[in-house]
Amino acid sequence: MSALADFPNLSARALSTALAARRISSEEATVEASRRLEAAHTRTNCVITSERDEAIAAARKVDAARAKGEKLAPLAGLPLAHKDMFDRTGKIASWGARIRADKPATSNATVIQRLRDAGALELAALHLTEFAFGPTGHNYVLGHARNPWDPTRITGGSSSGTACAVAMGAIPAGLGSDTAGSLRLPAANCGITSIKPTWGRVSRAGAMPLALCLDTLGFIARHVEDLALLLNVVAGHDARDASSSTVPVPDYLADIDKPVAGIRLGIDEAVISEAHPDIQKGLERALAELVATGLVKSSCRFPDWNTIDHLTQAMQLPDAASAHAGYMMTRPDDYGPQVRARLEVGHFVPAVDHMTALRARGTMLARTLETTFKQCDVAILPVTADPLPTIAELDVAGGPTVQQIMARVVKFCRPINYFGLPTLTLPIPRSAGELPVGIQLIAKPYAESLLFRIGQAYQKRVPPMIAPAA
Amino acid sequence: MSSQPATSITVTPADYLDIPEERRRAARDHVATVSKTVRKVALELPLGADVDDFRRNLTAEAK
Repeated sequence: MSALADFPNLSARALSTALAARRISSEEATVEASRRLEAAHTRTNCVITSERDEAIAAARKVDAARAKGEKLAPLAGLPLAHKDMFDRTGKIASWGARIRADKPATSNATVIQRLRDAGALELAALHLTEFAFGPTGHNYVLGHARNPWDPTRITGGSSSGTACAVAMGAIPAGLGSDTAGSLRLPAANCGITSIKPTWGRVSRAGAMPLALCLDTLGFIARHVEDLALLLNVVAGHDARDASSSTVPVPDYLADIDKPVAGIRLGIDEAVISEAHPDIQKGLERALAELVATGLVKSSCRFPDWNTIDHLTQAMQLPDAASAHAGYMMTRPDDYGPQVRARLEVGHFVPAVDHMTALRARGTMLARTLETTFKQCDVAILPVTADPLPTIAELDVAGGPTVQQIMARVVKFCRPINYFGLPTLTLPIPRSAGELPVGIQLIAKPYAESLLFRIGQAYQKRVPPMIAPAA
Repeated sequence: MSSQPATSITVTPADYLDIPEERRRAARDHVATVSKTVRKVALELPLGADVDDFRRNLTAEAK
């Protein structure tokens, strides 16, 4: 099969190899990606701004340089796209909102710059929940995102558009962010994978903040190897982000095909028992596949889950409220009802509680590393607590139930952000007609390579699926 | 001479925001639940617990 005919099934890694070998031109790949993205948008509302023409022009330049035999960057001519929340020189990101920056950015976000330096193209700016503050894909300003597997259902958020475009085979991978589940939820709900790296592993300079104490940038992809490939490009210290880590970055692809036999997989039955029975059954199916790769089941116990969730909220809510305080005082009516109501709550959290949550974080992390990870190398949890809801079922806007409903949606995700631990999302094996569900594998700080190894082994047994175009 | 101050200051959270009473009450109720948990943690938290412990512990694990 030609590379063009096989386009939706190719990983970014395979497509880059095909581009370098001139089995497909960057222009062909970009036009095909653009055609597929248009179809994906029709089905899911995943695009905020198409940059098709700019991307094709850039692709032609790459093809010309390649034809001349010039030495090109490793991802030269690879069409990708990103959640619309990153600074790019001369452009104004939508932030998924009515409120936007007053003037175009004067520099590129570090992640954008590093991807450009690696040769990647930008095909579009993709849908997100308003200000990335919402876990369902509802956006009361720009319209809700729709799930590619069943457009009556939610995508999850806030990196909703990235997940849709990847799931439908338009792009092999895309950039997103995760403050309380925003990479994991849409990846799980759309049947694909994501990496939320260790907090501080990737610079947030030039990314729209939601709650800087928790915000983490990462990728959504169909293939785990692409998560490794792209994290290689963007990870590492950045002087523009004082919280970015100076821990050396390994080559995440170097060990990805190494065996995983004997790696201990921790199961916290108490936490998992709070999921819907169907989610628990799905998790059992994923567990069976992981054991078949060679992983060994073990038990583990997280600190009290409700306590960690409340500590996370005591950090996140005032952090987000503070970031938006100026706009909330001057332009409250420009917010959608849900984000406005949720931002309001942050103003009521006492400063002492916020500081307690921040001060307790190191202690709680140490306790988790000493106890939870004493019996295991990685832990497994579901991503979602309930089977995929419809858009209508969760259309609660800013009503009185919003906090409780959102808390249930992020139940298994938000506490992991408190610990800052790296987390890989994988789809649960399913038959045709079944809706997607996901698991998350959680590792110790900076153990992304271990997660990628497990994910790679898992995908040899549970290959990626492409969502239907109609 | 009265010992009372001439004016009293009442601090109302988010009084600079136009929030309907129903949402204000819902926000207070939600935060009360969160605060109850956080204060239990505060009871056990050492005096010297530092915001920077988190980054130190993350990095220590990489060594």
